[in-house]
Amino acid sequence: MLPMIVRFKVKEAGRRGFGLWFPAILIWIVLAAVMLVLLPFMLLAALATWGRGPGPRLLLIYPLLASVLWNLGGLTIDVDQKERTLLIDFI
Amino acid sequence: MNDKRRKILDMLAQGKITVEEAEKLMAAIGETGNGTEAAGTDAAGRRSWKYLRVQVEPGPDSEKGDRVNIRVPFKLIRAGLKFAAFIPREAHAKVNQAFKERGMDVDLARITPQDLEEIVSNLDDMTVEVDGKDKVRIFCE
Repeated sequence: MLPMIVRFKVKEAGRRGFGLWFPAILIWIVLAAVMLVLLPFMLLAALATWGRGPGPRLLLIYPLLASVLWNLGGLTIDVDQKERTLLIDFI
Repeated sequence: MNDKRRKILDMLAQGKITVEEAEKLMAAIGETGNGTEAAGTDAAGRRSWKYLRVQVEPGPDSEKGDRVNIRVPFKLIRAGLKFAAFIPREAHAKVNQAFKERGMDVDLARITPQDLEEIVSNLDDMTVEVDGKDKVRIFCE
């Protein structure tokens, strides 16, 4: 499932920590707009390199990227060191 | 009683792990007492795991005391592996050489998407436990 919230937390020893619950939907909206703008260029590049380059594979970038982003939900990275703590959680 | 469960109970009896850790491991192998499981079963009745977990916990002799807890959805692994198709042919030789230097005789060009799918689908049988200065566990849940 496409994660809707990204939980981000960083803390260093002796410093004030930083925590953030970020609505990931904002990232997806911006990313979708950027991808839409780049789509014609991607298609042109695919056509230009179809016979002798990575043309067919370029067409796969969008669906593969979407597949990775869609399945980010549930990814958790939690590193707790003596001097530093890092948490990234896709919810 | 299956082997995995027996092993966890043995480790608990020997004091190698705490009750809480044993509970987590039981949950990971789907042997919780209340019948709740992190993973379901597929049409073939085979357990379908959702996440690959990597846990690093400091052992008694650990100097750094680092803790790492990573949970990666299997679907993300599958999706990510498809990007292997984007590795240019020119890079295959370098990747193969790097594999060989680490003792793995792998030819990247001969690995098909079906092979990758088979590797991922068989990860559920994998449980790695390393007891050194730090305790490392890799398992599915």
